[in-house]
Amino acid sequence: MKQQTKLSQKQEHIEEQQTQTNLTKEFASAEELLRFDAAQTAVPPEIAQRLQKNSTDIHPPQLRSWWKNLFGG
Amino acid sequence: MNEPVACESIGAKTPPAWAAQDLADLYDEHSRAIYYLALRFLGDPQKAEDATHDVFLKAFRRLDQFRGEASVRTWLYRIAINHCQNLCQSWNHRHVQANSDDAIWETTPAKTDSPLRVLETKELGQHIQKSLDALSDEYRLLLLLVADEELSYDEIAALVGQSADAVRGKLHRARKAFAAHFEKTL
Repeated sequence: MKQQTKLSQKQEHIEEQQTQTNLTKEFASAEELLRFDAAQTAVPPEIAQRLQKNSTDIHPPQLRSWWKNLFGG
Repeated sequence: MNEPVACESIGAKTPPAWAAQDLADLYDEHSRAIYYLALRFLGDPQKAEDATHDVFLKAFRRLDQFRGEASVRTWLYRIAINHCQNLCQSWNHRHVQANSDDAIWETTPAKTDSPLRVLETKELGQHIQKSLDALSDEYRLLLLLVADEELSYDEIAALVGQSADAVRGKLHRARKAFAAHFEKTL
């Protein structure tokens, strides 16, 4: 019984180690890490919406629907 | 690297020729880079959102001043860097004694060749921000610019007003300082 418990504990430990290894990521340099971070960072859609509202004074006939090109609205 | 053809085609346009599609393309292609720079330079998502909005609005209004001598990305970065630096100066919001701190890290054994290992990427952004916040504005900016693969060392040097050799030397120290701070945050 005791041996079984020890075995299962050992197995749990190995599984935990494997999970940690799977989660570990390595980056060769600071810029590689920053590139990864940048790729995961989403640009808030509010920026485009605000730009659409505030850019109406720039060539109004041409800019009226530039944001629609972005979002297909 | 930016394609010179794209710059020339944009630079060749006179202001009235700018169409909605041009601005949408400009925003679509560069907004992530500009937002990321603002986010990690200012260290605040709301301020980064405001800054990105202001940078693109300025760019849209100054398109007639873009002469195509630099790439569009570099031109946008120049507006963004000026904007963010002005914000930092006016807020005077950073209280970290970064320069003296950097001096300590610069004298520690080099760790730039060691890979940066992270167990989870869930809170990675927070660790990165803490590490960047601990650096001087100059080092932080250099690391953020070099992380953009579209920029050459010469373009980075032009953006920060230094020689490419000086940029390389400072980047070496910046990487080292970042790696040391990053290890501390984990």
